Amino acid sequence: MGVGGGSREHALAEAIARSGHEPRIFWVSEDRNPGIYRLVKGTGGEYALTRITDPLKVASFAEQWGVDMVVIGPEEPNFHGVVDEVERRGIPCIGARKRLSILEMSKAEMRRIQWRYGISGKLLFKTYRSYMEAIKDLEEHSELLSWLQNVALKPARQAGGKGVKVIEDVQVYLHGEKSRFKQRHMRWLEDYMSGYADIEDKILVEEKVWGPEYTLQCFVDGRTVIGMPLVQDNKHAHEYDIGPETGGMGSYTGKGFLLPFITREEYERSLSIVKSMIDAVQKETGERYHGFVAGQMMLTEIEGPTLIEMYSRLGDPEGVNVLAMLETDIIDIFEAIIDERLSAVKIRFSDVATVVKAVAPKGYPDFRDLARDHPVEVDEALIEKLGCKLYWGSVHLDDSGQVLTKGSRVVEILAFGETTQEASQKIEDCLARGIVRLLDGWGLFHRSDIGSEEMIRKRMEMAERVRRLYTYRERMGILGKRVDWIPRIGKIDPVKELSHELFSRVGGGSYESG
Amino acid sequence: MPGLIGIYPFGLGRENWRLARFVYYGLLALQNRGQELAAIITHEDEGFHSLSGEGFVDEVFTEDALNTMPGFIGIGYVAPSKDQRPIFTETPIRMVLVGDGKPDLENGVQASWKAFGELLADEISRSGDSLKAAKRVIEEVDGGYSFVALTENQELIAGRDIHGVKPLEIGSLGFDLGAVVSESSALDVLGMEHVAHIKPGEVVRFDPYSIERSRAKPRNKPNMSRCSFEYVYLARPDSVIDGISVYSVRERIGMILAKERPAEADVVVGIPETAIPFSLGYSRVSGISVSLGFVTTGRKIRTAIKPSIFERLMGVQLKLNPIRCVIDGKDIVLIDDSVVRGTTLRNTVWNMKRRGARRIHVRIGSPAIMASCPYGIEIPPPDELIARALDEREIAEVVGADSFAFLSIDGLCRAIELGENELCLKCWGCERG
Repeated sequence: MGVGGGSREHALAEAIARSGHEPRIFWVSEDRNPGIYRLVKGTGGEYALTRITDPLKVASFAEQWGVDMVVIGPEEPNFHGVVDEVERRGIPCIGARKRLSILEMSKAEMRRIQWRYGISGKLLFKTYRSYMEAIKDLEEHSELLSWLQNVALKPARQAGGKGVKVIEDVQVYLHGEKSRFKQRHMRWLEDYMSGYADIEDKILVEEKVWGPEYTLQCFVDGRTVIGMPLVQDNKHAHEYDIGPETGGMGSYTGKGFLLPFITREEYERSLSIVKSMIDAVQKETGERYHGFVAGQMMLTEIEGPTLIEMYSRLGDPEGVNVLAMLETDIIDIFEAIIDERLSAVKIRFSDVATVVKAVAPKGYPDFRDLARDHPVEVDEALIEKLGCKLYWGSVHLDDSGQVLTKGSRVVEILAFGETTQEASQKIEDCLARGIVRLLDGWGLFHRSDIGSEEMIRKRMEMAERVRRLYTYRERMGILGKRVDWIPRIGKIDPVKELSHELFSRVGGGSYESG
Repeated sequence: MPGLIGIYPFGLGRENWRLARFVYYGLLALQNRGQELAAIITHEDEGFHSLSGEGFVDEVFTEDALNTMPGFIGIGYVAPSKDQRPIFTETPIRMVLVGDGKPDLENGVQASWKAFGELLADEISRSGDSLKAAKRVIEEVDGGYSFVALTENQELIAGRDIHGVKPLEIGSLGFDLGAVVSESSALDVLGMEHVAHIKPGEVVRFDPYSIERSRAKPRNKPNMSRCSFEYVYLARPDSVIDGISVYSVRERIGMILAKERPAEADVVVGIPETAIPFSLGYSRVSGISVSLGFVTTGRKIRTAIKPSIFERLMGVQLKLNPIRCVIDGKDIVLIDDSVVRGTTLRNTVWNMKRRGARRIHVRIGSPAIMASCPYGIEIPPPDELIARALDEREIAEVVGADSFAFLSIDGLCRAIELGENELCLKCWGCERG
């Protein structure tokens, strides 16, 4: 039984349907995904709509249908203890338990664990429980801690990939405008986060870094962590990497395991960071991690491969790329995860390049009310004829057979190619034929630049610049070190100032301000 | 050759931006493209706000005005002539448009842009889709131009003519701002990432929910003809235009000039600021050492494009004070960027000789200017162009130089690393482009 109703889950259902074990597929999600629905019906399974963050409801369906295993797609069921409840009833589950999924749920807690265990690829950070606290602290300390002038503002909890602002404030002459905007955003963040009662930290401030990003997704069985091919996701909503952060507008792989701008050694280092994080969280909780994990990585000048965020699941759209490439029977992998013998399984991926592009209604990501409730039509025959594959996303197939948008990415289109550019072009040709449209005339958008030669060249140039900087630091023995000098005060090590973040706030309740 | 800028906010809280100051600093960075008029136009839900005046950017806008100017979408404009102003349309839609170059619609530059603005506004109103409308207008209207327009519906539309004569570059800031600018150095000054250039014939539209682009399909396959004058003279050396670094073009020009027109001398000096990279390239290839020959006084005044003769002469004396010890008793290769009337050069050469220079071999980092620019760059009428009247030997005599040579057109193309059929070479009297 699968849980979740987006494109990533559609790709999961498809990978399961490919299995030689000929599984009967059951599914629960909040909206009816037309693609999953068809696969489920094709195997003689059942599909039910339910609140997938409700552990009792999800576990009851699994029990009622007598399934052999449960696979979790999105993150929220993990955060709400769905895995714990399913396993309590004796049904094996591919998914992170509640306490383990803290790696994703709390961006602040993830960072604390990383610093406490001395795992490389870290960023300086501060957390705040209110907007006022943040403003006061940033004003008081930005003279002394210069990194505070250049920060990423994030919700401290994973909040649907929303609300991140990265504002570099190095141009003194624009400081007034930028800091005014930052303050307004923090006020908004506080309001937004007040909707989440499950976390004390509301606002996370991290040092701003730059560099090419990539996602390393892995299978985990509590003993072994196995990395998959690297994928690059593209977070900006619009062409040319402009505009608000989204869940991801498209992703690509190179041919083989690596991206053209990441070296084998950088891959290995990234994998070792993710492994260490899994070890650390297992040690912290005393529980074993079964399922997917992903490191949202960036190559940075200060640390080399750096952990930006973690997923307790596959990425979306990145999961679609790797699942389409996966050659090994996914049921064999799931069984090996459950039995904790993943190290004995040879996991193979096809040696092709892939590109996935998301198509979203105008209004996504920040004005979702505008993006909701538009009827969708797709031409599946033509998509297939043009060598692409369609994965349904944020839509609902209603009882009358009509598909309506739910406000997020409507479909994701995948293509294979000998090169990334070739795959990207296939999707462009496909979308140019109007294979997805909204029947009421509301606009859709996608990013034509994802996977293009221009984009990959830009990423390679950027990676080369960052690599020059971090390898210089490595040679000098100062990789990961931040040193500042303030007149009359002397050398400042901002890492020392982190100690109260690391120790006094563990568990959330023991923090005292000042 | 005005300077254009448009800055656009995306996402949640977009209305919290106040962009007048961003536009102002962007315009400061584009000051090289026009020093006679500057304008900032912003937009918010209530409508447009506009500030403009004659003169330099930092003279036109006061601190107070910038601090109180509302608006979360911003457009900026600097022009080399008081007659070139932003275009406002009231009907059938309200729109503001700023343009660089000249659409081939009327005789005058301003009249052409006015006609272009009206055409675009009509077409948008008629078709209901500003992207399609702008694409159609570009397909219809010949000429060499780029533009940035902002409609009352908060659509920012930027585009280039199908030949790609005039530049337009794209930038991004965080998860928040997108921008289009004439030169990438303005993005650097704003702390923005330079992400791409708009392609010849391409239109890009920013609206609150998307960025869309579309490329005009002209009836005949057009030649690309990027303005070669941009690379030689107009643009800042720290800009990258259509993926080509202006500085590297200028250094290559100096290198090619040294091969094409060698000279025996003790020192190479370039006339600030444009000719400095030429002199570095010339020195490298010739093996003659390069020195700083001049110090300038006052702000940068671009003599070739200053309107009156009086100002031009004032400009020369203020601009160039020779450093005596560098030139006294020396044979000199003197490099300048262009020669229009020869007035500036003659003053400079005589000035240097009076300070003790022995022989002066003048080398020009561009071919001879032979014709006016059909796309609005202010070049004196043909009968005022020295290269049309005199050959190189005669020019040497007039300006008082011991030898005089222009860069060849072929050399210019090689320096830009584009073919003759990819460049506009009309001002050099070359119609093949």
